[in-house]
Amino acid sequence: MSIVLEHLTKRYEGHPVVNAVSLEIGDGEFFVLLGPSGSGKSTVLRMIAGLAPSDAGRVLLQGRDVTGLPPQRRDIGFVFQQYALFQHMTVAENIAFGLRVRHASAAERRRRCDELLELVGLAGLGGRYPRQLSGGQQQRVALARALAPRPAVLLLDEPFGALDAKIRIEMRRNLRQIQRELGVTTIFVTHDQEEAFELGDRLGVMNVGRLLEVGPPDELYLRPQTEFAATFLGSANLLLGETTSDGVRLGPLTFPLGTQAGALAEPQRVQVLFRPEDIALASSKDDLAGPPLGEGQVEQTTFAGTFERLVLRLPKIPGVRPIAPVAPFGSDHLLIEATRNQEQARRFPLHAGESMWVGVHRLHALIHPGLSLLLVTNGSATSQAALSLGGQIARLAHARTSIIGAGLDEVQLQATVQAIKEQLAGIPALQTRAIAASTAQAVREETERQAYDLVVLGIGPQDDPDLVEQVLGAGEHHVLLVSRAQTALPTKALICVSGGEASKEDVLFAGRLARHLGATATLLSVLPENADIPEERERATRFLEAGARTLALLDVPAAPVLRSGPLRETIQAEMMAGGHSLLVVGAPMRPFSVARIRPILAGEVSYPVLVVRSPYAAAAALSRASAKQEEMV
Amino acid sequence: MSTVSLNSNNNANRPNGNGTPEATDSQPYQAPLPWGRWSLRAVALLYLALVLIIPLIFLAQNGLAQGASAFWQAVRLPVAWSALLLTLWTAAVMAAINGVMGTLTAYVIVRYRFPGKALLNAVIDLPLSIPTLVTGVMLVILFGPQTAIGAWLQQHLHIQIIFAPPGIILALLFITFPFVVRAIQPVLEAMDREPEAAAATLGAGPITIFRRITLPVIRLPLLSGMLLSFARGIGEFGAIVLVSGNIPFHTQTAAVYVLGEVESQDQLGASAMSLLMLAIAFGLVLLVDILQQRSPRQEVAL
Repeated sequence: MSIVLEHLTKRYEGHPVVNAVSLEIGDGEFFVLLGPSGSGKSTVLRMIAGLAPSDAGRVLLQGRDVTGLPPQRRDIGFVFQQYALFQHMTVAENIAFGLRVRHASAAERRRRCDELLELVGLAGLGGRYPRQLSGGQQQRVALARALAPRPAVLLLDEPFGALDAKIRIEMRRNLRQIQRELGVTTIFVTHDQEEAFELGDRLGVMNVGRLLEVGPPDELYLRPQTEFAATFLGSANLLLGETTSDGVRLGPLTFPLGTQAGALAEPQRVQVLFRPEDIALASSKDDLAGPPLGEGQVEQTTFAGTFERLVLRLPKIPGVRPIAPVAPFGSDHLLIEATRNQEQARRFPLHAGESMWVGVHRLHALIHPGLSLLLVTNGSATSQAALSLGGQIARLAHARTSIIGAGLDEVQLQATVQAIKEQLAGIPALQTRAIAASTAQAVREETERQAYDLVVLGIGPQDDPDLVEQVLGAGEHHVLLVSRAQTALPTKALICVSGGEASKEDVLFAGRLARHLGATATLLSVLPENADIPEERERATRFLEAGARTLALLDVPAAPVLRSGPLRETIQAEMMAGGHSLLVVGAPMRPFSVARIRPILAGEVSYPVLVVRSPYAAAAALSRASAKQEEMV
Repeated sequence: MSTVSLNSNNNANRPNGNGTPEATDSQPYQAPLPWGRWSLRAVALLYLALVLIIPLIFLAQNGLAQGASAFWQAVRLPVAWSALLLTLWTAAVMAAINGVMGTLTAYVIVRYRFPGKALLNAVIDLPLSIPTLVTGVMLVILFGPQTAIGAWLQQHLHIQIIFAPPGIILALLFITFPFVVRAIQPVLEAMDREPEAAAATLGAGPITIFRRITLPVIRLPLLSGMLLSFARGIGEFGAIVLVSGNIPFHTQTAAVYVLGEVESQDQLGASAMSLLMLAIAFGLVLLVDILQQRSPRQEVAL
C-alpha cells in the first residue's frame, strides 16, 4: 500500500472538520477524493502532505509513518489550485527548485527539466516567467515542478478549478496519460463529479468531514450505499419504499428488484434510486419499456446538447416520501428528473404541460438509514422520563438508537436501561455506552464519534439553560427536550414558524417525526402585536398554507394558524387551547445561542420541546468560520 | 517629510488586485464647477510653491551664490567633510541594522501569534510621535557616563555610547524604527502563502524558503524602507544634538555642523552643507519612489 490513513482527524474550534478518515491506496493508483466544498477533502490532502497538522490518527506513506514529519521529509509532490508558482523564477528554475534543494548537479537539473517540459507539453518555454503563461500552462509548470524530484506520491488539490471548461478537459486527459506513464500513486481532490469519473481508478466520497464511500466510479454511480453519494454523484430520483420478497414496493406499486443482490427476507425500509436515464416515457401504459410509475405531466424540458433533460410531475403516491429531487415547499406532488437522448426526443417529442406515462427500467435500493437517535441519561428522574419517551419514539421510527449514560458507570447504566425495558423493546439497533463526563461533554464526545439526527435530553425547570446551549452547540443534531414526567407520546404538535428557508427545514423535520408518531400538527405563525401589517399577514398566510401542503405530502394532517401578540404567551395559549402535546421551534445551526428560545423554555414547561436546527440560518456564520480556517492552514 | 513619505509608501504597497489608478481628472459623478476646478488647482500649487519650492530655491541660490567652487570649498573644509562622513556612515550602519531587525519584526508580527502582538503593533509607530529631542534625553538618561548602565559598559567593556558614534546610531535606530517594519508589513500580509508551502513540499527547509521564496517578494519594500530610514537619518538633529556631544572631527554630524555655522554667521558654510544634505535626501526619496512604483506590480502580483 502506497498511502494508508488511519482514523485521521482534524478539529477546528473543537468541531471535527475531518472525522476519523481511514483509507488505503495501492501502488500506482489514481484515487479521487470527491466532496462538496467544506467537506474536509482538501484538509485530508494537506494532512497527508504535512501542510496541516492532524489532531489524531496516522498517515503512512510507503509503509513509513510520516504523521509527525514536516512536508520536506515526506517525499511527496503537491499541486495547488492557484498554481503557487515562484513568480520571480523562470519556468525552468521553478521546475528545478526541488532538485536544487537536493543538491542535484546543474547538468542533471537541466536534463530533468527538459524531460519534464517535454512531458507536460511546454518544451522550449523554460526561459519564460510564470506571469507570461496562461493559466493552463502555469498549472502544467506546477505539475512538472511537483514531479521533478520523482516523489513517491502525487497530491493534487483541485488543480483545474481555476481553469475554463475546455482547458480543464484537455488538462484532465493529459494528467491521466502522464500518471499512467509514470505510474506514480496519485490523490486528486475535486468537487466535480464528471472530473472524478473520468480520472479516478477509485473514488472516495466525503461529506461533513467523513469519508462515506469508496469504490470504482461505475460502482458508486450505479450502486451507492448512502443517500449522499447517490445524490452527489449525478442527478438522482430517490423515493422512500420497502423491500419485500417480490421486489421493491413503493406504496401500491411493486417493482422487480434489478440490481440489489441477495433478496432480503424481511421487509425493510429502503431508498429507491433511479437515475434520470433509467426513466422510460411513453404515450400509453402499454408502450412503456419498464414497469409503470404513473401518469404525469411534463413540468419543464431543457435542451442539454447530447441529451434532453425533463422534469416530470407525478401525483403523490400514497405512503411514498420523496427524498430527491426535493419537492418544492408547498407542493403536493412528486417531481421526477428524466433524460433522453436526442433520438428518443425526436421520436416522442414532449413539451411542457403535456401528459405521458412514466416507467422505470432500472432501479437500485439503498438501505434506508432512517432516523438515528441519541438518548442521554444521567440517572435523574427527568432524564429517565426522557429515556422513556425517546425509547417509544425510537421504536415507532425504527430508529437506530444509542443510549449514553453521562457520568454513570456501566452497571448503573444497565440498571437504568433495564428499568424501561418495555419501552425499548423492538428497537432495531440499540447501543449503550457509559461516558464518565458531564452531560454536555458526553453528548459532544458521542456525536463526534457518530452523527445523530436527534438527541433526546431530559431537562427540568431547575436545569441550567446553558446545558441546552452546550448540547445544541455540540453538533448539528436536532434536540428534543423532555421536561418533568412527560412520558405519554405526543399526539398533536404545534410547529412554530416564522417563514423563510430555515422554517421550511423546521416543517420538514417536524413532519417526519410527526409521521412516525402518527401525530397531527398545527402550523403556527405569530406576528408581533404592534406590527400587524397586511403584507406581513399575507406573506405568513402563504407560508402556512404551503407548509400545510408539504405536511400533507408526508401524510401528516396539519392546520395553519395565524396569531398576533407577544410570542411566549401566544405560544403557551395555543399549546393549551389546541390540546397540543409537543412544541416545535427552530434554531440556527451555529453559532448557537439559546437566547432565542430561552423565553419559550422559561418557567413551567410541561410538554416536550423539539428544537429543529437549520443550516440556512447559520450559513453566513459558517462561511465566516471556514474562511478563518483557511487562514489557519 | 518622514510622515508624508511613510503614507505614500503604504499606499504604494497595497495589494493591487484592482490596481487601476483612480482617475485624477474630472470625476464624472461630480457636477462640474468650471471656476472651482481651476481655483482649487491654483490654491494647491500656490501653497506648494510658498511652503516648499520658494524656500528651496532661496537655499540653493544662497548656497551657490558665490559659485560652484566656493560651494565645493565650503563642503570640503576638513571639519565639514568629517561631519558629513560621520553622518553618512552612522546612517548607513543604522540602515543596515534596521534592514535586518525591521524584517525580523515585521515577519514576527505578520506570521506569529503571541500575547501582546496588538500592543507591539501599536508601539512601533511611537517614535514618530515622540519629539526627537526627547529621544536624545532618554538615551542620555539610560547610557550617560553617570548612569549605572553607561558607567558599567565603559568600565568593563570599554564601550562609550553617549558622546560617541554608537550613541548616534542608537538615536537614529530609535527614530527610524517604524520605517522598515511598516514598509514590509503590508507586503508580507498580502503575500500568497502557497508558494512557501509548495517549496516545503519540494524539500526546502525554512531558511531556504525564506531566502529563496519570501525574501525576493519583500526585497524592494525592504530596500525602500532602508533608503527612507537612511534619508531620514542623515538629516536628524534633535535626537543627535544631545547624545553626540558635538565634538568636531569626532562626533559632530552634518546637521549639528550646520547649526554651528549658522550660529557663527557663516551663511555659506551652512547653506552649502544644507544643500548637499538636501540633494542626497532628495535623490534617495526619488529612488524610493521609483522602487515603490516597480514593487507592487512585479513582486506581489497575485
